Amino acid sequence: MSGDIKDFNKTGAFLIDMTKCTGCRGCQVACKQWNQLKAENTTFFNGEGYQNPPAMSEYTFTRIKFRDYQKNGQNEFAFYKEMCMHCNDPACASVCPVGAFKKTAEGPVIYDTKRCIGCRFCMVACPFGVPKYEWSKAFPLVKKCTGCYSRIKNGHKPACATACPSAITYGPRAEMLKEAERRIAARPDRYLKKIYGKEEAGGTSVIYLTALPFDELGFKPVTKRPLPSYTWQALRLVPGIFLTVGGSLSLLSWFTHRKDRLKKEEEQRTQSRKHSDQNQEKTE
Amino acid sequence: MTAARLIINEIKGYHRFLKFLMVLVGLGALASLVRFIFGLGVTTNLNDTYPWGLWVSFDVVTAVPLAAGAFTLGAITHCFHIKKLEPLVRPAIVTGFLGYSLVSVGLLLDLGQPQRCWHTMVFWNPHSPMFEVSMCIMAYTTVLFLEFLSPVCEKLGYYLPLRVLRTLEMPLVVAAAAISTLHQSSLGTFFLIAVDKLHSLWYNPLLPLLFWISAIFSGLSIIILEATMTHKWLGQEDESELLETLARIIPWVIGVYILVKAYALFFLSEGPFFDRPRMLVLFGIEVLAGVFVPFFMFMQKKVRNNNRLRAIAAGLVIFGLVVNRFNVSMYGMIHEGAPYVPSLLETLVTIGIIAAEILFFVLIAKYFPIFEHHPETVDYSLPDKFRKVEKHGSVAAGA
Repeated sequence: MSGDIKDFNKTGAFLIDMTKCTGCRGCQVACKQWNQLKAENTTFFNGEGYQNPPAMSEYTFTRIKFRDYQKNGQNEFAFYKEMCMHCNDPACASVCPVGAFKKTAEGPVIYDTKRCIGCRFCMVACPFGVPKYEWSKAFPLVKKCTGCYSRIKNGHKPACATACPSAITYGPRAEMLKEAERRIAARPDRYLKKIYGKEEAGGTSVIYLTALPFDELGFKPVTKRPLPSYTWQALRLVPGIFLTVGGSLSLLSWFTHRKDRLKKEEEQRTQSRKHSDQNQEKTE
Repeated sequence: MTAARLIINEIKGYHRFLKFLMVLVGLGALASLVRFIFGLGVTTNLNDTYPWGLWVSFDVVTAVPLAAGAFTLGAITHCFHIKKLEPLVRPAIVTGFLGYSLVSVGLLLDLGQPQRCWHTMVFWNPHSPMFEVSMCIMAYTTVLFLEFLSPVCEKLGYYLPLRVLRTLEMPLVVAAAAISTLHQSSLGTFFLIAVDKLHSLWYNPLLPLLFWISAIFSGLSIIILEATMTHKWLGQEDESELLETLARIIPWVIGVYILVKAYALFFLSEGPFFDRPRMLVLFGIEVLAGVFVPFFMFMQKKVRNNNRLRAIAAGLVIFGLVVNRFNVSMYGMIHEGAPYVPSLLETLVTIGIIAAEILFFVLIAKYFPIFEHHPETVDYSLPDKFRKVEKHGSVAAGA
């Protein structure tokens, strides 16, 4: 849960300007290095296009997706950096039965490997499909982008943001949003007039600027409402329902059993009266 | 003869069908062993796109409402005080207890870190429907176990616990209904988080309520089906008269379900209904064959009074429930790419769990008094261990 963080202006955020991305994938390499993730065996064109590996996985926390399109009769590339969005109010944290996920005040949504029971609800809940599982292991855990929490706590920028030569800026969320708006205003012909992540899933710590429509690049269409509110509107009723059902059934059974008892007592009384009448008759 | 030989001889005397079930349970146990040695990835066809598969969809999301007979019938019999239904309660409790125990087994197999299942009791997260369901399942399995202890104590002649259980009976019935209401509905809350994933034919904010109502009428239908089968194959008493009473209650509950579902569908759902023909077909099967047909069948006296037709209608309700839970938890989830099909090992485990449910039910029915239950005949008085009182009421000679 986001817990007691109320002001998301100061949480660290990634501003990723896809129009400035060159597709060098330095971020992918830096991510693997810092998180000590294994390389994956890959082949070209085994997925949708040039991108490699074919999907994010337990070994790949971030990935540049390629999309080729035509502009003025020329072939062009557009890119999309896939990674954990570090939501302000993360779905993974709300559904985790043991609270293994936490939104930190610094920005990243972090995962506690020691708590996780491996139910994979986070994977079902995440609207961006970020948490991945160690399918090869007998006792698997969840793997996802850490937002380089260990680096941030020590005053460094995340590994991908440090490696990126052009597209990623890292800083307080309010400043990043302001910067994004400034860029759109300064060069309206270059950008789509929308900031992805400003309101998506109730706001995220990763915000994007693009030239092409988001869905064409592979961004998922996501609700603007924080996801935990969808389940909480039902779950908040739990104590009330428990007391109502328990209370009304107790009352009901008290009444029905009392009625039964009274009926029995009445029967007994009439029977004993009959009995005594008979006795009287006998003595007479 | 040694104890082992006794047991082997006992098993040799079982019906062929029971031996077949034992083989299935054994196969399931072997398959689940594979999961612990080689991991979930090898055993199942699950992947990052389909993190939940057959084990969650059937062993948890479907099995829990199928075991709902115990709490519904308990509440109807004891709270609404329709006493004549009493003979149906014990088999329902046994089914429920077995069902929930096997749900726990299924859950433990599906968890990545089953040895940490106690974490839910230590690290509370009340915002998680999974936390709520796991707490409820633990609590309710305990309640069902206590209720199940009655026939066990009767069989073994433990009188003191019997008296304690007797005083606990009503509180347990009320607790069972309250706890079940919570977790049956919370299973629906699971899928409220899948906002942009679950198809709008099923996604609506009333999903928890719909899950609860459908659990009630499915629980009652399971009792009808089970009583008809135990009469036919286990040679137990014919309870048709009582089943008719149940069959009269069911259409009312289904009626409410239809109203709520229609309201949720037409007024609360967002997004298109007709964009995926496959979804429409699945929805059609679920609603027509699983809800409307049994609804109209149960409305007719002819069907309610006919053992065969009544069982068929109940079977259709169960079928509809299974399709509904699979639609919500598996088919209705919209994903690109190859669909998920359970692996052989996954299927073997689930078949083993179903076989175990039937096997244990038959065995318990064989050894414990769950059918011949007439509460008025049970002797709850403490036995006179010191022989102070003779059977005929006179004081013993030694005094």
